[in-house]
Amino acid sequence: MSKFPHALAMLILTLLSASVLAQEPLAVVVNKANPVSKLSRSELIDLFMGKYVAFPDDSKAIPVELKGEHKIKVDFYQNLVGMPLSRVNAYWSRLRFTGRKRAAVFQPNENDLIAFIIANKQAIGYVPQSLITTDLKVVYILNE
Amino acid sequence: MNKSGLVIRLAVVIAFTAVIVGLITTQIFYRFTFLNEQLLGEQSIKQLFNTVSPTASIASYLGDEELAQEVINGLISNDLITAAAMKTDMLMVKSANYQESAAMLEFVLFSPFQKERSVGVLLVKPNDKHLADKASNISATNTAVVAIEALIITAISIFVTYYVITRPILSIGKALHAIRPGTLERIDKPSSHENSEIGQLADDVNDLLTKAEQQMLREKSLRSEVQVLESRFRMLFENATSAIVLVEPQGDILLYNKTFEQLIEKLKLPLKKNYGNYLQELFILKKELHEQIQTSFANDESAVAELELISHQEEKMWVQVVVTQLITDDFQENYQITLHDISKRKQQISLLDQKANYDSLTNLLNRQAAEQHLKQLTVTGVAFALIMMDLNDFKPINDVFGHDAGDEVLIHVASQLMKSLRKADVLARWGGDEFVIVLPNATKKEVTNVCEKLAAQLSKPLHLSQHNKTVFVTASMGVSFYPDEQLQLLELIRAADKAMYQVKKDKSTNKALYLAFSSDLAKPDNAGKAV
Repeated sequence: MSKFPHALAMLILTLLSASVLAQEPLAVVVNKANPVSKLSRSELIDLFMGKYVAFPDDSKAIPVELKGEHKIKVDFYQNLVGMPLSRVNAYWSRLRFTGRKRAAVFQPNENDLIAFIIANKQAIGYVPQSLITTDLKVVYILNE
Repeated sequence: MNKSGLVIRLAVVIAFTAVIVGLITTQIFYRFTFLNEQLLGEQSIKQLFNTVSPTASIASYLGDEELAQEVINGLISNDLITAAAMKTDMLMVKSANYQESAAMLEFVLFSPFQKERSVGVLLVKPNDKHLADKASNISATNTAVVAIEALIITAISIFVTYYVITRPILSIGKALHAIRPGTLERIDKPSSHENSEIGQLADDVNDLLTKAEQQMLREKSLRSEVQVLESRFRMLFENATSAIVLVEPQGDILLYNKTFEQLIEKLKLPLKKNYGNYLQELFILKKELHEQIQTSFANDESAVAELELISHQEEKMWVQVVVTQLITDDFQENYQITLHDISKRKQQISLLDQKANYDSLTNLLNRQAAEQHLKQLTVTGVAFALIMMDLNDFKPINDVFGHDAGDEVLIHVASQLMKSLRKADVLARWGGDEFVIVLPNATKKEVTNVCEKLAAQLSKPLHLSQHNKTVFVTASMGVSFYPDEQLQLLELIRAADKAMYQVKKDKSTNKALYLAFSSDLAKPDNAGKAV
């Protein structure tokens, strides 16, 4: 009994690592209705690292994050700022002491995340390229 | 006496040098320390920056004032930093004492996520005072170390120089100071300086002492030779029977011997430094001396003269004077004057003269001298009267009372006659009881007067003490005149003689008769006439 879940975990890990190795490009997407059509890498970093809480056209932006250490999330930060997630988290913990509040909204998985973006005009998030739907507008592609 | 002068001087020089070198070293060291500290400070600040740079980057990136303030506070809490500031495009956070100035360290802050994206600058002012203080502290320690080192080096230098150089030299100096040149004393070589320059110095000094000793010995022997010679010369000079005097041309006496001193004493003169040229004041006839000297010196000879000295006593002093011209080595003219005492010889000569010319009994000129005198008068052509005198009745006195009484009478007559004569007149004993009187330039009248006086003098009674008898003496006188009567002396004498005998002859008839003139005899009428 006890051997089975172990073997399963091993399998999942192998699959996961395989997917990481595959390096599927990540797309940064916004609501279809969002007037922003294209973002620069810096603008993207500024939005996700808390420098700005608005799009370049000054309309409010809500970054959408995946909860925990989601593989896509790890991938995203590795690609965006070249840091492991732990360091990004440490960055935020540090900022928390200065009283700065994070504007991001956390979603448990990709589907919820996509759903939130579709539902929210100000949202911006990252999804694997394969999950892009027509309801989403791609503003930036990472790891092309 | 400053025997440690060398040591003190040395100590001062070394100490001074040590202090100067120490000061320079300290100053240079301080400079280096300061620069080094500055560099270290900058490095420390860079390290500090490295420490705060992630936070600073975040603060700058986000424009987070609070975080920036935290960074600034953190920085200025360090001693190395006086002021700090963070500048981004939207925010400027600075410490309280921050001022814009050039002396700022500037660090560019980059975005934590994009290493090429600059997001602001961090300005830091290093604490120069702190750096200077630190440098000063290090330097102070260093100064103390250098000072101690200088002190030790000075002490060692002085110690070493004193024991290695100064003390040996001082010991040589002290030994040399105590040494009497010309003795066998020598300087000891300082220990451990057998082959050094100081040892050489001692050797050289000893060589010099040896040379000095030899020189002094030579001089000593020479001096003793000179002394012997001098004592001999002195003996010769002092014991010379003649007075020897060395005089300068002006008459100053340079040297005289004992005999000269005795001579001056004998003359009862004060001993003076100068008796005039050639001692002329000592002589009666100065002129003769000078003449003699002039002629002799003209012929390059020593002047020799026999002269009588001025004397305050009865005895006459005669000397033979020899004046010799001497030229000294430095071309000074001096005169050596020798005075040989010839008084005795002169005395003997005068005695002989006396004997030859004078009658020993009456001390009157004798016949020979009288004749000489008369001859002299005829040669010079002086007119004179010749009186021939003969005592009356002298023979009986001689016969009755003896020759002593006769001699006494003759002496009495001579002295009585002398009283009535002038200086120029001559009185001589012609022989026996005969006397001759010569009166130069006398007239007949004068002659008559003189004869009268003579007769009067003679007529005074003479007491013969031995016989307690008083006798009366009379005389007969005959006179002839030169050149009126006779030019021939013999004839003149004969004429006077004749006149005198005429008086004696006529006396039998005329008792008062005592004088006859030969000129009167020619006329028989006047013969025997009493005057």
